[in-house]
Amino acid sequence: MAVKIFIATDRLDSVLEKLSTKIDLWIPALLKDDKSGPTGFVPYEPGKAVAFDRQTTMSLKKVLLPQVETLLRFEYRKEPEGAINSTLAVEDRREARPTLVFGARPCDVRALTTLDRVFSNGPYVDPYYTERRKNTLFATLVCRQTDAKCFCSSVGGGPADMEGSHLRIVRTDDGYIVEALTKEAQSLLDNLGDAPDASREKQAAEIVEEVSRRRVGDLDTEGSAEAFRKRFEQTDYWVQMVSQCLSCGVCTYVCPTCYCFSITDEAENLKGERLRSWDSCMFYHYTLEASGHNPRPTKLERYRNRVGHKFSYIPERYEGLLGCCGCGRCIRSCPVSIDIRQVVGHLKENTNE
Amino acid sequence: MLETDRIQLHKLVEEALPELDMMIGWTESCDPLQTTPVFIRDAKLISKLTLGPFCSQNLAGYLVKPPALESVPKDAKPIGICVKGCDSRSLVALIQEKFISRDRVRIFGIPCRGTIDWRKVAQRVGLSDVKSATVEDDFLVIDASGTTHRIGLEDVLARKCLGCRYPNPIIQDVLVGQVATPRSSSLETTYRDVDALDNKPIEERLAFWQSELDRCIRCYACRNACPLCVCQDKCIAETREPRWLTQRVGLPEKFLFHFIHAMHLAGRCTGCGECERVCPMDIPVTLIKEKLNKIMEEMLGYSAGLDPDGVPPLLTFNPGETEI
Ligand code: SF4
Ligand code: SF4
Ligand code: SF4
Ligand code: SF4
Repeated sequence: MAVKIFIATDRLDSVLEKLSTKIDLWIPALLKDDKSGPTGFVPYEPGKAVAFDRQTTMSLKKVLLPQVETLLRFEYRKEPEGAINSTLAVEDRREARPTLVFGARPCDVRALTTLDRVFSNGPYVDPYYTERRKNTLFATLVCRQTDAKCFCSSVGGGPADMEGSHLRIVRTDDGYIVEALTKEAQSLLDNLGDAPDASREKQAAEIVEEVSRRRVGDLDTEGSAEAFRKRFEQTDYWVQMVSQCLSCGVCTYVCPTCYCFSITDEAENLKGERLRSWDSCMFYHYTLEASGHNPRPTKLERYRNRVGHKFSYIPERYEGLLGCCGCGRCIRSCPVSIDIRQVVGHLKENTNE
Repeated sequence: MLETDRIQLHKLVEEALPELDMMIGWTESCDPLQTTPVFIRDAKLISKLTLGPFCSQNLAGYLVKPPALESVPKDAKPIGICVKGCDSRSLVALIQEKFISRDRVRIFGIPCRGTIDWRKVAQRVGLSDVKSATVEDDFLVIDASGTTHRIGLEDVLARKCLGCRYPNPIIQDVLVGQVATPRSSSLETTYRDVDALDNKPIEERLAFWQSELDRCIRCYACRNACPLCVCQDKCIAETREPRWLTQRVGLPEKFLFHFIHAMHLAGRCTGCGECERVCPMDIPVTLIKEKLNKIMEEMLGYSAGLDPDGVPPLLTFNPGETEI
């Protein structure tokens, strides 16, 4: 069984095509015909070019947590006798197919540890997420495209971090070396290519070694949970940090660790579906109560929640785990350049002022 | 020249601040290609104010979207605000529709030479690490991944700026810097992108919008950034009772949302381009509104945000209307 193969750059597409016959394959790709345009994960199609040159605009969370999914279908059936009586038929069939995400980044895969705690590790197990999660493998790039917005090493990860990954991809001068890190991933590499020669193997080892030493980002999150609590009621702090926020859904939708969702029944006549869709704590309706009262009436309370959830509530609840993987997407895509590192970083400064 | 203007701005704001409730302007951000809005009450922060081609955000919306003005008592001092030419048109439109009264704002008008679209910069220098960006004469000088790039400013200006007819503020209390020359003086130049699309067969146009809008993630940044989308939290795209739009993310829902947005802006949109600038999926959504703006100009001879005393055509009723 192959554990490590070399794929020459110009053979990548044919290898992916072969791979896609073994397993459902997702790849990072351009979403627009513009090499610097927005990118995201899409199901593989022959000829579709992978966008390996930078982190994707949208994270891979949608592979496990689609923006919209049908939880169940329902139908009211009228009894022939007496139109008043009806029965309710419910169908909640779901299917999780073996899937491989080829070209994930370490930050994205690490983000799943947060999602796992919420959806899979009890006390409530979400079968939709959990079944997909069990059936999905990740082939992760050793990341060499760090930019000024990345801070994965500050939050427990790193650009060569392979925790949670099943295969490691190292991009060398003339191709890719793909190595199985788990037993279940080994068979995927069968008949896809030859083992790398010694010089390529050496280059790959050097790259891994060099990237592993990099420390990306310098945010210090130590003590932020408590600092956040102290800041909670200091309105001035939030006014100062996020008055420019537009309360849009960009940061939460691009974020790989934001998982909040809404459930709606959408029916026409007697038939309908129960949908689960992404929600955002930056939206007004997120906390709107039936009475009309909204405990988070403005963007200040909403943004405060986003920071608090990631850097205070989650760590307090889950033994220090952070709700942020440091991918920097929210910083990169925010239309008014809000930098979560700054907001978190300043929490601890002169908390008593 | 920019530096002189910046110093002038600081001086003007320093003089005015005691009479102001606060000052809204731009300041540098973590991204060298974009500024971030800043709200100043403390004179110590005035030196942080900046102006120039990186100041792309339209600040007018902050005056009407909570919690900006809501928390300020009606008899409080006026709010100072920096506006470019296009931003000033949003202000005019908000004044026309009585969302703000003229005497509540102190307008620092900034003649504008165009703003930089970071995406166009990315197309030229890649999305690698941009360490610094400065403007030298008509060039943008960028230090990215250890290489210095000199790019002609015209090549990286926002789409709206290339067809801008009003780079100088329509209203202001003080003017900062020298009056700018408009890049366009004709409908043809201003609406060249609309015309280019209109000249294509209808199937191609449909295919264009299908592929563009397919990327929409319904994050509503375009709506929230729009200074004239004043319904905000009450937007019918999101109301839950009644529910007009489903949560699905198919093309029909995306189209519907964008048509709601565009129709609610008909005769009101001033073409500031914020909706397009903020879109994380790079969808040219302003183009939809530009088409409506063009119809407004051609049919009713009306262009939004030019006359504080004017009445937008869809807010009036003229039984003797001759143009339609
Ligand atoms: S922080 Fe930025 S991306 Fe997030 S809601 Fe505010 S404006 Fe939108
Ligand atoms: S909060 Fe921002 S940096 Fe952290 S995981 Fe989410 S998008 Fe990435
Ligand atoms: S549209 Fe005109 S006023 Fe507005 S930013 Fe562009 S050049 Fe400046
Ligand atoms: S900003 Fe872009 S992605 Fe977001 S709702 Fe508007 S068009 Fe869609």
